Formats: sequence, C-alpha cells, structure tokens
Amino acid sequence: MLDDVTSAALRTAASGLARRQRVIADNIANVQTPGYLAGRVSFEGALRSALDNGADPAAVPVALTRSTGPTNLNGNNVSLDEEVLSNVETGLSYELTLRALDDKYGLLHTVIRAGG
Amino acid sequence: MGLFGAIGIASSGVAAFRKVLDATSDNISNIHDAAPTSGKAFQARYVVAQSVNYATGEGGVDVAKIQLGGNPGGRVVYEPSHPYADAEGNVRYPDIDLSDQMGLLIIAQRGYEANLAVVDRARTAYEAALQLGRNT
Repeated sequence: MLDDVTSAALRTAASGLARRQRVIADNIANVQTPGYLAGRVSFEGALRSALDNGADPAAVPVALTRSTGPTNLNGNNVSLDEEVLSNVETGLSYELTLRALDDKYGLLHTVIRAGG
Repeated sequence: MGLFGAIGIASSGVAAFRKVLDATSDNISNIHDAAPTSGKAFQARYVVAQSVNYATGEGGVDVAKIQLGGNPGGRVVYEPSHPYADAEGNVRYPDIDLSDQMGLLIIAQRGYEANLAVVDRARTAYEAALQLGRNT
C-alpha cells in the first residue's frame, strides 16, 4: 500500500524531470562551449511501457542522450530558446508531479488517521 | 554538485560568462593602447570554455584557457607626434575590432542572464519539492 504503483511511477517521473532540469541547466551553462552537444533526458516512453506491461515503474531507467541536431561553426548545437522553453515546461511538469505525489500521500494520511 | 544540483550548474555558467564579460571589457579598455614598433601590441583575450563531466550531462562548465587573438604585430599607424613613434614616425596599435568586441559583450550578457533565469526556475522547483508532505 505504501509502495503502490502510483507513488512509484510518480517518484520515477519526479526524479526523471529533476534530472532533465539539471541537464537543461548544463546545456545553458555550455551554450558557448566548443564541441558541446545538447543533452536530452528521456524516461517517459520507458515509464509508459513499464506501466502498460505491469513492470516495476521504480526500475525504469532515466537515459541521457546527445542531440544530433546541426552544430554551429564551433561544434556546439545548443539552442538557447529551445532550452529556456523546455526548462519552463519541465519545471511546471515537475511541480505537477509533486502535487500529485503530495495528494497521494494526503490520501494515505487520511486512511491512517481514520484507523486511529 | 550540491544538494540543489541545477542551481550549482547554472552558477558555473554564470561564472564562465562573467569571465567572458571581464575579458571582453579588458579588450575594449585596451583597444587604443599604443606600443613602440619594437614591441608587441596588446592582443585580445578570448575565454575558451569546456564542459565538466560531459558524460553525466550535469557537470556544468569551466574555463579551459584564455586564448590570445588577433595579430601580435597589431596595426602600424603613422603618428610622428606620438612619444612612442619610431624613426619613421610609426606606432603600434592593437588589432582589435570594436564591433566584434561589442558583439561578444552582448552574447556574454545574454548568456549570463540565461543562466540566472535557470537559477530562478530551479529555485521554484526546489521550493515545490520542499512543500511535499507539508499540507497533510
């Protein structure tokens, strides 16, 4: 009950989104670094298929890949506008996930109090 | 990386762009340094960045080196009244283009601001995380 699939999936989503936010911070910090390729974090597809197949969502890997987009003359392919927008989106998704997790914990709290 | 990773990464970016701002303002302030033709002209300083822990994608950025740019011979200008003028009346001025430097200055400023915006966004996210379990 305390380790059900909903909280496990939400925790995986929260840690994946937090990692994505760190990687976006890294991309923006390296916007002028020669030869730097933008990092991309993916976990949503793996999380979805784990949930579809009844696998453990806590074991879903959070993968880091490098963008294959066209580079500048200095070998860098970070697009600042893309990163800033993605940062806002990731931040809001993270807050949404945390709110869902908080509500889930609220339900557990209600159940525990009803027992006492 | 500290407890609040994204803020640490963004602050490495802020520090790197601060260095670019410093180097560029140094270049601009020395743009009219005269030198005798027997010596070398002032050369523009360029900050070369490198990523830290590229494999993890969360290491931030660091300054690899400061590279000298432009021609060390600079531009030789005929200015016979200058105290540094040689027998032919020539002095050396740095080979620095002001519009280039102004462009770099704007890029550095934008980069600096973008990293600060990341700090702001990350702080909001961390504050949301700190609220977990508070209202139950």
